[in-house]
Amino acid sequence: MTTSRSDVEGLLRELAPQVLTALVRRYGQFHLCEDASQEALLAAAQQWPSGGLPDSPRGWLITVASRRLTDQVRSEQSRRTREELVAVATPPSELLGPPADAEPADRDDSLALLFGCCHPDLSSPSQIALTLRAVGGLSTAQIAAAFGVPETTMAQRISRAKQTIAGAGFDFSLPSGAERTERLRAVLHVLYLVFNEGYTASEGDTLTVPALSQEAIRLTRWLHRLLPDDGEVAGLLALMLLTDARRPARTRPDGSLVPLAEQDRSRWDQAKIAEGVALVTGALPRGDVGPYQLQAAIAAVHDEATTMADTDWPQILGLYDLLELAAPNPFTALNRAVAVAMVRGPAAGLEVIAALEADKRVARHHRLIAARAYLRELAGDTAAAAADYLDAARRATSLPERRYLALQASRLGG
Amino acid sequence: MKYLMLIYGNQEKWASIPADQWPEVIARQDAFNRRYRATGELIGAYGLADEISARLVRREGGQPAVTDGPYLETKEYIASFYLLDCESEERAHQIAADMPFADVDPVEVWPILHEAKPDL
Repeated sequence: MTTSRSDVEGLLRELAPQVLTALVRRYGQFHLCEDASQEALLAAAQQWPSGGLPDSPRGWLITVASRRLTDQVRSEQSRRTREELVAVATPPSELLGPPADAEPADRDDSLALLFGCCHPDLSSPSQIALTLRAVGGLSTAQIAAAFGVPETTMAQRISRAKQTIAGAGFDFSLPSGAERTERLRAVLHVLYLVFNEGYTASEGDTLTVPALSQEAIRLTRWLHRLLPDDGEVAGLLALMLLTDARRPARTRPDGSLVPLAEQDRSRWDQAKIAEGVALVTGALPRGDVGPYQLQAAIAAVHDEATTMADTDWPQILGLYDLLELAAPNPFTALNRAVAVAMVRGPAAGLEVIAALEADKRVARHHRLIAARAYLRELAGDTAAAAADYLDAARRATSLPERRYLALQASRLGG
Repeated sequence: MKYLMLIYGNQEKWASIPADQWPEVIARQDAFNRRYRATGELIGAYGLADEISARLVRREGGQPAVTDGPYLETKEYIASFYLLDCESEERAHQIAADMPFADVDPVEVWPILHEAKPDL
């Protein structure tokens, strides 16, 4: 029986972290195990669609990966790695345990793997690449395509990241207390960045160029299953769903951007909104409210409004006030300025922006100038708004955003 | 985030470097290239041929029409370019400052436009 290529791909991606943790648990040597696991995944991706699924896909992958690992060790007999890998002779059948989310020990292994991939010694592009490969089960070629870099560059980035992990001494011990919170925050940030990377125009063959926002949602959903009581994990998943729900309405067929105020809200994905709202309303009362829950709550208020005019701006402003306390950030402050304008009028919003201009991180940033343009237009200062839109367009590095801002400038006669 | 780094120069500038120093100059540039390829941040590094080999190409009647040029009015022209993909603009500036001659001549750093769409 044959199985569709995308079904196989989906299954492999689910199994990827389980296979890798099983290997590393037994043999150590994160770097070598990750290579072997990736080779097994690639072999399965080639064989299973036509040959059918083996009785135990997970067992098959672990067996094949173990064999690759053995081959690799034999081919490097003179190397030190051989001594460290004497355990390779263990029959792979001994590795076959229950699936990852069945046992607490497996759950902890999965978490440790994720923490390792988001190790603080790695730059965020490296954390992202390694997470997508080791936990997400994507190939280097797929990750390279998603980021628009040559495969060799991505391979180098992943290899360097794995060396760093090995140097830091990867093991399965989970940090506790404040360090655990800090490490989990790094993981959530990586997933958040992957989601945002997914907001790209190229929507080609998703098997060769994976949709990163979908991958981010899949991984965050997986993390939420591992840590169902963590409010920030639930908050991040909710934020992703509530943002992704607007995707069908945020782009015109020609690829140009549609701002929130002009989106056709009947095209928003109601199932995603319902799921996101349920997640965030379930998380908020548990206390310990963090920035992802607050951002999700803001997104929920937007998503539940049937028109821009119906939006509960006082509630959004209240949430931004809390967000600024929880995670002070100039871009949060900028969004809050827009909420201030919607509640108290554009002049009040412009006052907030004027105060932000003292912060060098944002003073010349296109987001600040674009927000100022919007509020100046609302205030009736068309000439200044046009000049700001043009200035913002020149400073934006996102092509669709630049086109949108330039269009606003020309609409106002700038 | 992708960035383009540009180095400018001209024949006069290259000629001012004594011949016996060239191996060291090249070695320093190679070391830079290796270092940032290894981190997975340097996508490509390319040196351009002399101005004399550059051509202007137009399409005339569906065919390429090639003429000599460009005749540059500036004293310096692009000598090499580098494509980076790194974490932030700050990081791109750090890498640029690490270019072998950045202590003598500035490196131009241009952000490359991307297709990512913000949620408006």
